[in-house]
Amino acid sequence: MKKITKNSGFMIVEVLVAVSIMTVSILVAMAVAQKSVYVSRQAFHATQAAFLLEEGAENARIARDNAWSNVAPLNSSEQIGIFTRTVVASSASRDNTTKDISIMGTDDSGTKLITVTVSWPEGGVTITKTLQFYIMNIFS
Amino acid sequence: MILNIKKNKNGYAVLELIFYIAIFVILSILVIDAMITMTKSFRETVIQAELVQSGTIMEKISREIRASYGINSISASDLILNTKNDAGANKTVEFKFVGTDIQFWDAGSNIGNLNTPKIVVTALSFTQITTVKGKAVKISLTIKSANDALGRTQNFYDTIVLRGSY
Repeated sequence: MKKITKNSGFMIVEVLVAVSIMTVSILVAMAVAQKSVYVSRQAFHATQAAFLLEEGAENARIARDNAWSNVAPLNSSEQIGIFTRTVVASSASRDNTTKDISIMGTDDSGTKLITVTVSWPEGGVTITKTLQFYIMNIFS
Repeated sequence: MILNIKKNKNGYAVLELIFYIAIFVILSILVIDAMITMTKSFRETVIQAELVQSGTIMEKISREIRASYGINSISASDLILNTKNDAGANKTVEFKFVGTDIQFWDAGSNIGNLNTPKIVVTALSFTQITTVKGKAVKISLTIKSANDALGRTQNFYDTIVLRGSY
């Protein structure tokens, strides 16, 4: 009689431990699944942002194609859905001897550095993607 | 004395049973909830993967526009570009919004849909931008997944300058 009582108690504890292990593993799997949703959403937003970056770069090119004087004043910020895009033009310098673009040297009025930035909120953090390139006055 | 012990033992077993059943109930609720969440998140992952894949539609359109030298005809949902084939001969490519699909026409023949069967294109528009030195096309594409019960739509925007016209 005593033995049976002890055995049944042991079995319940055993089952409890087994169920606890299963529960923990299922909860961990759930956390992984939720993380995967976050990551896949972020990947999709990054795809959208890539096209917005490209569009910002092409807009700078359109400004250049209309008139070179349109490029230097470029300084815009706009909201597209959840994305914020800024396009900023800054001056570029060239080395006096090699004529390569460099930090030091003389300012080249025929070259501008365009910085396109797209940022968006993702689960409480802001993700920022930046695209930088030089644009040149090739039409005049 | 014997009666007392018996009573004590019985009471303990019932309490124990209630305690374990309560734990099992809580655990099973947690597990069922986790199962539902997991099913939902796997479906969401599938939808997001389909949407990411449809970025190739934009990529295809933007590459064709970039390579072309002129716009043959442009309307809100139909774009015909003048471009050159591998041998350098002139040809046209066309992007046509038909129903819920985007058709790609190469040199006058329908190549097929750019979107996968599970992707529903709800809006497509082309806008021409004319500059002093050339032309550009603004593309806006709205898609949704056929698997998405909520029917959420997503937008892609891009603008491409025709490089062949320089």
